[in-house]
Amino acid sequence: MLLKGKNVVITGCLKGIGRSTLELFAQNGANIWACCQYESPDFTHDIKELAAVNNVWITPLYFDLLDPEQIKKAAHSIRETKQPVDVLVNIAGMTHDALFHMITMDQMKKVFEVNVFSQMLLTQYITKNMLRHKSGSVIFISSISAIDGNPGQLSYTASKAAIIGATKTLSSELAGYGIRVNAVAPGVIKTDMTANLPAEVMERLMAKSDLKHMGLPNEVAEVILFLASDMASYITGQIIRIDGGIG
Amino acid sequence: MLLKDKNVIITGCAQGIGKAMLETFAANGANVWACARVKTDEFEDTAKALSEKYHVEIWPVYFDLTDHEQLKIGVKSITSTKRTVDVLVNNAGITYNALFLMSTMNKLREVFEVNFFSQFLLSQYIAKTMMRQKKGSIINISSSAGIEGNAGRSVYGASKAAVICATKAMAAELGESGVRVNSIAPGITRTTMLTSMTDKVIQETILQSDMKRLGNPDEIAKAAIFLASDMSSYVTGQVLRVDGGL
Repeated sequence: MLLKGKNVVITGCLKGIGRSTLELFAQNGANIWACCQYESPDFTHDIKELAAVNNVWITPLYFDLLDPEQIKKAAHSIRETKQPVDVLVNIAGMTHDALFHMITMDQMKKVFEVNVFSQMLLTQYITKNMLRHKSGSVIFISSISAIDGNPGQLSYTASKAAIIGATKTLSSELAGYGIRVNAVAPGVIKTDMTANLPAEVMERLMAKSDLKHMGLPNEVAEVILFLASDMASYITGQIIRIDGGIG
Repeated sequence: MLLKDKNVIITGCAQGIGKAMLETFAANGANVWACARVKTDEFEDTAKALSEKYHVEIWPVYFDLTDHEQLKIGVKSITSTKRTVDVLVNNAGITYNALFLMSTMNKLREVFEVNFFSQFLLSQYIAKTMMRQKKGSIINISSSAGIEGNAGRSVYGASKAAVICATKAMAAELGESGVRVNSIAPGITRTTMLTSMTDKVIQETILQSDMKRLGNPDEIAKAAIFLASDMSSYVTGQVLRVDGGL
């Protein structure tokens, strides 16, 4: 129960790492604003059950990261509850595969809109809340490909590298107010995002990794939980690789 | 209770970060081989008190890290119990501040002996046990000085940089056997090691950090719990900076 009674905002809760984080945080006693792109009956049903089982509240929020107005509305609905927000986990993001010369500016801008600008906007809104109560933990999702590079993924890797710079700068700006800011950099994790990796790429990556196997979304969620909790009280401005030891 | 019934070796338990680790690991349900250089009544009493408070086993083990024969005997006393060894925390170390041109070869050798060679040897012994078990987590305590290279820290920093490199190589070699190896790089932490630094250097370092304060030993200990536990099951070969954002 590392987050008993804490209030948390998580984006990208529908599947993958976001979904695992949602479940793990609820099991650890957190109340959650669970953000998704769109409403689905299954999700509504699942979070009701998850909340009941763990004796927490889970409020779904639906918005499209491409639409700043929708983000603003969601942030407003959080503010209206007058609840302190203790943790923000920016998980929602998109991947994009294209060789450098084939990337159109429109695609490039879309990737940055979703993976960087929207996250900055939401983080601006939410950290204002944290500033008032002088404590908080913000967690971004970067990627090892932002550090190591990955052929065919320039737009994605550049956007995730931007997150690293933002994490470090935000950490130095907000630490004085008791707000820690960190990022995790997952390696090859079993999600939809990696489902389409060609077999030879997968083989090469696994051979490079120390543990020789893929990670599971839950293993990323556990590290996010650590950073969100008081266990990481002296950790800020860090990028934690969760990659089974690649490179 | 992240380490319920796990068996853990921690070196340098008599003071500072190691002392905080001993209590934090015990509080999380771990049984601990608490290693220290010399046997004292105070240490024995602490071990006993923690054992009773948290309902865990604490077995004091005494050896001087610079004496490899003693170290070997210490290891034997652990491995001969036939218990699994789930976690090894190589925490014991010594500090040394001196300008590069003033650093003597004797001091260089002494610092490397304690901070690097002895850790290396202990890890060799214990990794064998862990590989047989196909599971284990080794945590080497390095330092932000091993990453940054600060003035006056050529000796200490180099020994800690060696620890970092060994961590990565060990992770690469032991990963397939289910043994994870990571390092924690503390920033400046409230321990007696601080007395070796001038107030000016301490104040300057605090100002450089995002959090503008010293770390507490228990904050390093909490990070060690994370790396020791299954919370970090897909994290290996990493250096986790616990430094308030230096």
